[in-house]
Amino acid sequence: MSAAESSDESLLARYRSGDGSAFEILYARHRQGLYRFLLGLSGKAELAEEVYQDTWLSLIRSTSQPQGRANFRTWLYQIARNRLIDHWRKHGIHNPLHDSYDEQAHAVIDNTADPEQLLSLSRDGQRLETALQNLPADQREVFLLRAHGELDLPQIATLTETPLETVKSRLRYAQQKLRRLLAEEVLT
Amino acid sequence: MTDARPTPEDEMAKHFREHAAVEPPAHLDSFILAAAQREVPVRRPSLWQRWVQACQKPRWQVAFASLVGVALMLALVQRSPEQTPGYDFAPKASAPQAKKEFAEPPAAAARSFAAPAPVAPMADFAAPARSESLNAEMAEEAKVSKRAAAPVKSLDEQLREVLRLQKSGHQQAADKLLADLHKRYPDENLTSKLKELKKN
Repeated sequence: MSAAESSDESLLARYRSGDGSAFEILYARHRQGLYRFLLGLSGKAELAEEVYQDTWLSLIRSTSQPQGRANFRTWLYQIARNRLIDHWRKHGIHNPLHDSYDEQAHAVIDNTADPEQLLSLSRDGQRLETALQNLPADQREVFLLRAHGELDLPQIATLTETPLETVKSRLRYAQQKLRRLLAEEVLT
Repeated sequence: MTDARPTPEDEMAKHFREHAAVEPPAHLDSFILAAAQREVPVRRPSLWQRWVQACQKPRWQVAFASLVGVALMLALVQRSPEQTPGYDFAPKASAPQAKKEFAEPPAAAARSFAAPAPVAPMADFAAPARSESLNAEMAEEAKVSKRAAAPVKSLDEQLREVLRLQKSGHQQAADKLLADLHKRYPDENLTSKLKELKKN
């Protein structure tokens, strides 16, 4: 198996045993997803950059490995999430992820499940970002972990310490709202 | 069971993945990659490599050399010698003898000076040359010879020693001692003296 096809875990192990090139492959795989996750969750480029840098540096300097059933990807996003929450706590900023949002109360009937209509969604990056920021924080987090972290629902449930059913409903409501917001943007 | 077909949720996630325009800044990329290269964990050498490296360090070389030296010394000290050669440098009984000889009357002294040097010290110094691989009989003979070659006070006493050796069955030693006496006292009739002593 070539280095490019190696698993994240074996690349991390190779880096820890002194192979510097293994880190470059690992970084190239996850740089974009992690940054987009942090930017989407924090909503501030400066803060996202700071946490992004802290996350990678702690991984470089740490000797720990993903524990238990966690794979590298889950572990990486867990570190980043914890760092962001630490930052909010340190600066006395209210953690929006702790807000309990009543999805049922804010649910809007969604009639745009037709894939054909997805083609009319806005592709403008700025509009996508704005739509994301309109989501409640807990829904946004689940959606970002799914979209940019490419984690499956049980992994998201473990990472956010949330019941699987809650994760599913948050993701569903997030998708519905995004579809509505982006479609509206296109239509107006 | 996971459904392989893409759901509308997956389509939305894919849409965001494909059209989100943001990227980590280039300066962050280079900073993180540089940090990773700078702090690459040092490769841990194997046990054998560590051993070789330790052997290359002077302080360990000294330590190992000292250890080997001590081991060699212990091995040498603990090895029991088969036959320790005797080094009788001090002629124990010869000192009083010398005093006596100097105290003797001039005639006796002259006789002593005329005679060849006593064989005892020479025999003692010659002892180390003896072979270590003597068998028991040879060792016994050597002991007897040594005893026979011990410092003598006079010719008579040495002849008595010859008689004693003959009586005790050490004929070879007795003959050797007698031959030595013949060499040292060529003017003396040792055979007759020996007969006289036998009679007495």
